[in-house]
Amino acid sequence: MAEQTEKSFLKQPKVFLSSKASARGKAPGKAGTRFWKNVGLGFKTPREAIEGTYIDKKCPFTGDVSIRGRILTGTVNCTKMTRTITIRRDYLHFVRKYQRYEKRHSNLAAHVSPAFRVKEGDKVIVGQCRPLSKTVRFNVLKVIPMGASDGGNKKVFTAV
Amino acid sequence: MGISRDSTHKRRATGGKKKSWRKKRKYELGRQGAMTKLSSNKTVRRIRVRGGNSKFRALRLDTGNFSWGSEAVTRKSRILDVVYNASNNELVRTQTLVKNAIIQVDAAPFRTWYSQHYGVEIGKKKKVVKKDTEETEAAEETKKSKHVEAKIAKRQQGQKLDSHLEDQFASGRLLACISSRPGQCGRSDGYVHAEDLLLDYSSHETQSYISCGIIFYPSVNEDV
Repeated sequence: MAEQTEKSFLKQPKVFLSSKASARGKAPGKAGTRFWKNVGLGFKTPREAIEGTYIDKKCPFTGDVSIRGRILTGTVNCTKMTRTITIRRDYLHFVRKYQRYEKRHSNLAAHVSPAFRVKEGDKVIVGQCRPLSKTVRFNVLKVIPMGASDGGNKKVFTAV
Repeated sequence: MGISRDSTHKRRATGGKKKSWRKKRKYELGRQGAMTKLSSNKTVRRIRVRGGNSKFRALRLDTGNFSWGSEAVTRKSRILDVVYNASNNELVRTQTLVKNAIIQVDAAPFRTWYSQHYGVEIGKKKKVVKKDTEETEAAEETKKSKHVEAKIAKRQQGQKLDSHLEDQFASGRLLACISSRPGQCGRSDGYVHAEDLLLDYSSHETQSYISCGIIFYPSVNEDV
């Protein structure tokens, strides 16, 4: 049971594990069925979410959060927290006196489901959900890996 | 009461300290936790909460309504023992009933239901059954009508009892998990841990300081 990492028994609340009729299901190879959902807004739920065995109540696909409100995108800044990342969103602010722009950035904490593999520098699309912790109000919906485009330096300014 | 649930006392996300700019408000209040104990003199207090509504603070409880999910039966039974608590071992030692505490529950109501529904006595040792069966069968056949017998025969098809559960029935104690919040609703209801995965896991990791020997993970190192 690799996914049982906590001291209490981790399970998906909507899945009844000992149901006698659990022979049918999505055939993940074991007796259990898995709860997963489509988050909407055109986002495809990753295969890893449907086939995986992880339990994450804050995952938008297999957990108890709904995505509503804003959808934002940014680059991944830091992945050192367990199951959450920090995203950096760069933007330009217009200074009227000088008729010029200045660079500004803000950081965002987002929860990342175990269905995704995220590295620093990847571009990521996050959707707003209810507060998951003191600073986390967003959930990663889609990862665009850094190698997909010409793979720039993290310090290179990308106006999103 | 002194317990408040505001966030103005916490530091900012950047680490900076927030200066308090207002007094504590009543809508941010918190109350003392009800450490609901396992005891036979049942005490439940009614608390008036915001909006005039009530919460039922259970201070001492000893029974609860427990569901056996795979058979879809729910019976009121006595709580015998608190066995494991994922958050705090202290709560096990002091026999405190909280949500998601693993407890032992009297198996008798479920056993009687099972024998009525399936006609099978669970938890009895095989030797005893052989001696008694002739007598009891004769006695039962005279009592049950054909209609009841037909029902029982039909139900035999789906009847299958997990071996872990059988052992638990034999000892008269079922493992259950509390799924209500006794300090909020005044009841300690829950479900019988009949989940195959869970039971496999718990009986596999049997090294523990708890006498009933149920623990989910081997990495529980803290002392009692």
